Amino acid sequence: MEDKFDCIVIGGGVAGLAAAMILARNNVKFMLIERGEFAGAKNVSGGVLWGSDLAKLVPNYWKEEDGGWERYINHRRLTFMDEQSTFSLDFKSSHFNETPYTGVVVLRSKFDNWLSGKVQEAIDASEYPMDSFIATDIKVDEVLLEHDKAVGIKTGEDEFYADSVIIAEGVNNLLTRQVGLQDKYVPADHMLTGIKEIIRFDQSVLEDRFQLNGLSGMSNEFVGWATNGIEGGGFLYTNRDTISLGLVLGLKDLREKQQKPYDVLNHFKSHPTIADTIKGGEVVEYSAHVVSSGDSRVMPKQLYKDGILLAGEAANLLMNAGKAIQGMDYAMRSGILAAETIVEAKAKNDYTSTTLKSYRTKMDESYIMKDIRGFQNAVHLLHTDTMQHKVPNLVCDFGRQFFTIKNEPTPKSRQMLRGAIKRHASLWELAKLGIKAGKSL
Amino acid sequence: MKLLKLSEQLGLVNYRNQAKSEIKPHIIVDTDICNSTCPHKCTTWVCPANCYTMDETGQVHFQVEDCIECGTCMYACDQGAVDWNYPDPEIGRGVNWNFG
Repeated sequence: MEDKFDCIVIGGGVAGLAAAMILARNNVKFMLIERGEFAGAKNVSGGVLWGSDLAKLVPNYWKEEDGGWERYINHRRLTFMDEQSTFSLDFKSSHFNETPYTGVVVLRSKFDNWLSGKVQEAIDASEYPMDSFIATDIKVDEVLLEHDKAVGIKTGEDEFYADSVIIAEGVNNLLTRQVGLQDKYVPADHMLTGIKEIIRFDQSVLEDRFQLNGLSGMSNEFVGWATNGIEGGGFLYTNRDTISLGLVLGLKDLREKQQKPYDVLNHFKSHPTIADTIKGGEVVEYSAHVVSSGDSRVMPKQLYKDGILLAGEAANLLMNAGKAIQGMDYAMRSGILAAETIVEAKAKNDYTSTTLKSYRTKMDESYIMKDIRGFQNAVHLLHTDTMQHKVPNLVCDFGRQFFTIKNEPTPKSRQMLRGAIKRHASLWELAKLGIKAGKSL
Repeated sequence: MKLLKLSEQLGLVNYRNQAKSEIKPHIIVDTDICNSTCPHKCTTWVCPANCYTMDETGQVHFQVEDCIECGTCMYACDQGAVDWNYPDPEIGRGVNWNFG
């Protein structure tokens, strides 16, 4: 077949674009298919792209006048919340001003489109400038299989053929299920829905309010009252002249406690601290995206089969173990590793599992699977009732006492702490939590 | 800052093929299942665009027009009532994010 590609990449998100970049650089003839009008048109994330892998794909991206990213993170905050109070762990350091940055905030409609432009530049510089493509506005209906090996894809009446397919279709992984790598039904118990608003400010107001300097930015996660008793948490990230404010909420809890996500978001926004933070802003977009909790039980059993590799959220690669919500960095690294595996397969001219299984090895040896395996207990711990409700209440109760100055004798801090613990949990409960946290973090 | 109602939030979404009167629904819901054997009617609680609603008599109804393709219902429904697909670029609905 003359028109046969070495590889078809399904999905122009972070995983698919990362894969495409590596394929282009290694002179692999490929087509990337995106169902939106442009890469990013259909994509939503929180979102911070953590880590420094972006520099591998776009060297010196920070030198660009108007790159696709919003701000780099040099200020991090984890906030415990009760009805009236917020108590934060706050860390800001000029250490994080050094490049490559260790986290950049992105808005996907802009970021993915920008990255896709970089991939096109790599295609133009490759040996197949006329034979590799980024094709948009095309929905893939089916991965074509012959003897259970992928041989191409079908879209409407058209079929395109390839030696291999990288499925990077995202969390709504219909094709992953079609090829049998994920069960038809994935239990909803470990899935959450992420919703967010983009809130715009005058840029100087935003920079003053969040103490930003140049393109520096802040990430803030919230636990406790933010979610109105629903399993999950909140987030706030600063963009150029907007903020991304949102929640991640457990499906099972929403159902059992009969609450609607947008009502919980307004609850969060009505908190006195949040209300002060977003004062004067204007909501310019509302969006949502289902996510996995990082519980390995929702992940596909395998990441490859003959002619097929899975990357990014198609494989439910996402985790929040308490430090950060990581998903896009997993997508980027898995896309890179998938493409490197295809490069090997092309050299050997063998696209069967015999060669493609090395993707699994690469993934297992990467920080992605090491972290997902290593922090499963932390994921479970984070989703316990104690961690979700009791600890934030206790912390805020203690904070209120500690920071209250009355014109009367002040109790010792440990007495305040003991009182706060008694009111919200028990010493025994906290001791257990401490031991678990010590082991799992 | 004024809190928005869902209708106002959805009013900010840039939908595709908005001018077309006839669109091909990308999600087909067998509400007979929701209204007979489903024990929890999960989608009516979790959908961020309120495409699934429950009336006063407890009957589930579905409309696709407001869908923002988040995939929540695809995972939430464990009863086989939701046949989820991506919208057709030409004749489907779905979103075009301005920010994402």
